[in-house]
Amino acid sequence: MDPKQRNYLLLALCAILVIGSWVLFVPPNKKITQGLDIQGGLSVILTAQPRPGQALTTADMDRAELIVRNRVDKLGASETSIQRQGSDSILVQIPGIKNAEEALKVIGSTGQLEFVEVASITDTAAVAALSRGEDGVTLKPGTYKPFMTGEVVKSASVSQNPTTGQIEVNIVMNTAGSKIWADATTRMAPISKGGKSPTGELVAIVLDGVVKSAPVVNEPITGGQTAISGKFTAEDAKNLKTVLETGALPVSLEPVDTRVVGPTLGQDSLRQGVIAALVGLALVAVYLIAFYRGLGAVSVVSLLVFASMFLGLLAGLSAFGLFALSLPGIAGIVLTIGLAADSSILINERVREEVGLGKTYRSAAASGTRHAIGTSIDADLVTFVSALALFALAIGPVRGFALTLMLGILCDLLMMLLFKRPAVMLLAENIIPKAPVLWGVPKEVAKTVPATAKKGGGRRA
Amino acid sequence: MHRFNIDFMGNRRIMFGISAVLIIVAVAALGLRGLKFGVEFTGGTVINVVNARTVTIEQMRKALADSGIQNAQLQEGTVNNVRGFIVRTEVTDPKLANADATKVAAATKLPEGDFQVTTIGPGWGKNVTNKALLALAVSLFAILLYVSLRFEYKMSVTAIIAIVHDILITLGIYALVGWEISPNVIAALLTIVGYSLYDTIVVFHRIKENSQGLVKQSFMSMANESINEVLVRSLNTTASSLMPVIVLLFFGGATLKDFALALTIGLAVGAYSSIGVAAPLYAIWKEREPKYAALAKKFAKAS
Repeated sequence: MDPKQRNYLLLALCAILVIGSWVLFVPPNKKITQGLDIQGGLSVILTAQPRPGQALTTADMDRAELIVRNRVDKLGASETSIQRQGSDSILVQIPGIKNAEEALKVIGSTGQLEFVEVASITDTAAVAALSRGEDGVTLKPGTYKPFMTGEVVKSASVSQNPTTGQIEVNIVMNTAGSKIWADATTRMAPISKGGKSPTGELVAIVLDGVVKSAPVVNEPITGGQTAISGKFTAEDAKNLKTVLETGALPVSLEPVDTRVVGPTLGQDSLRQGVIAALVGLALVAVYLIAFYRGLGAVSVVSLLVFASMFLGLLAGLSAFGLFALSLPGIAGIVLTIGLAADSSILINERVREEVGLGKTYRSAAASGTRHAIGTSIDADLVTFVSALALFALAIGPVRGFALTLMLGILCDLLMMLLFKRPAVMLLAENIIPKAPVLWGVPKEVAKTVPATAKKGGGRRA
Repeated sequence: MHRFNIDFMGNRRIMFGISAVLIIVAVAALGLRGLKFGVEFTGGTVINVVNARTVTIEQMRKALADSGIQNAQLQEGTVNNVRGFIVRTEVTDPKLANADATKVAAATKLPEGDFQVTTIGPGWGKNVTNKALLALAVSLFAILLYVSLRFEYKMSVTAIIAIVHDILITLGIYALVGWEISPNVIAALLTIVGYSLYDTIVVFHRIKENSQGLVKQSFMSMANESINEVLVRSLNTTASSLMPVIVLLFFGGATLKDFALALTIGLAVGAYSSIGVAAPLYAIWKEREPKYAALAKKFAKAS
């Protein structure tokens, strides 16, 4: 393809990306998720403590996460976020929470697995809901009394019944537990099997006050080995297994980094951050135009292209719940403005320099942009490497900073390849040669530049 | 107008001298005064009251005492012309810390929305510090590897020396002035690593390009020309990177100031070290190679 056609194509692609970005991020305050430090709320990092003498396993963390999810759901807050951080920590973020102290009490308590006879629950609404087979019924404290707690569970596993093909969750209990379980299940079993109920009663498996499963007791279970079957998907079965394991292998969670931010405070910080970014952008724009004139103006447009793509990317990631803007993240954005300006400066300098060496505008633009982008890519890559190390290894708020920095570098590369280079090359064809001084080429240099050669002639100059 | 011809290499001893003095001062400050670590590293609670309204520091002190908060350090500060308080306590239980904040808010009649409570558990700080150091070590190693593969090991070693130079001086200033080290400052330090390196790579890129088929001058004078060629770019880049950061320093609010401060110092030092430390050290090292030693001898009399 002819370089001119290729450049037009790249600019068209860039325009599509910029328009797409605008569609994605407008209005930014709605489309870009705000982090806890900006919208206000409770943010807490919990670390799981390993059992004495044992290392923390992934299974431990699965249980810890389940316990935390269960409790946070119970708080009834919306838009909560729960993320693993590192090998032993969980970040919980609850926006706009009123009573942080109460929330912390709920999140920080030890996980409690209990077995409850549904017939003994005094809250009739809850019993009705359980009989209808509803999921996640919450039992109010004082309305139920467990006949057994989770410590008796020795292990839990998922298997497929060889005869029926159904997925089952198997529980193995210790001796003491097996005895209580045998008594209870005998009582709850259908009359035909020696129990009191006509069809068998429900037994609720309750974690932190939330019913996780309420199977019917079909027969007395005396051997300490129980199988729960039903309409499980593999996922459901795995979840129930994890629930049961919280009894056997409790994980204690310690809040290690707790931040409670008032809602007004975060918005103030956001406003200051946005002002800083805009003022910074404006100053850089003025500086670039003053120094490089026409090329400076192209640089300012490329900064706007960069900013659009960056915001679009952030909005896109927000839509998938992969990004939330934090204050350190804003600092990362401000920093990448500098990086993007630098890429532009490298290109401007190099092109001017090559013009000064006596090349035609056209060949100076082609080789200048190529060399400068080569330098930029190297420099961008090393910065990216250190941001990646920070993102992968650091914990806490700093990760937000590393993330925006990395995304900014990507947008910087896109901006150079899709906008700056094609734009400068196309301008060098006809527009720059007509008024070189306006484009930042010094007068004495402009006189020495060979006239743009027709069709390739100047390239060998 | 945009052509410089500054004899950086001829004056390298002056630049090394300046760097040596700065590093000695920084190391002395770090050794004698030490760094002041923030609550994220030490464990404890910080309660930020963003807007003090009409509450005086005495009233605040009384409110703290009346709420039964022990060993609290109270500090008054101004952010964007709004007076506020910073209360530091040794409480590591977030429930207690937030209960304290609620009590103080009630006693001073300040809205709870203006309170920001950060509680860090004991032992967590060590974790954070170790992870940050690990991140730093890994990124330095990755840089070393990248530059060695892409360019050559002599460049990566001298680039790392420049980076250590920048970090030491930045930390030294923190020790000297007694500013607090927060995780944000650590992030800023890592960014300085990236930036300083970015600058150094730009200079090295040009030296590498100009060193191809070098016969007409010594390596040292070619390196000097290379620096001069990229000087305008270096100055412009430093200016345009510093502008938003300095704006952040003035308008950024308390949280973002940490970053901005470390970045402002680091960017300035980083820009200097590419020209004043990395490039001359690299050139000195390269001149020891037989090929370039011969060139240096040949042109020694001429200059």
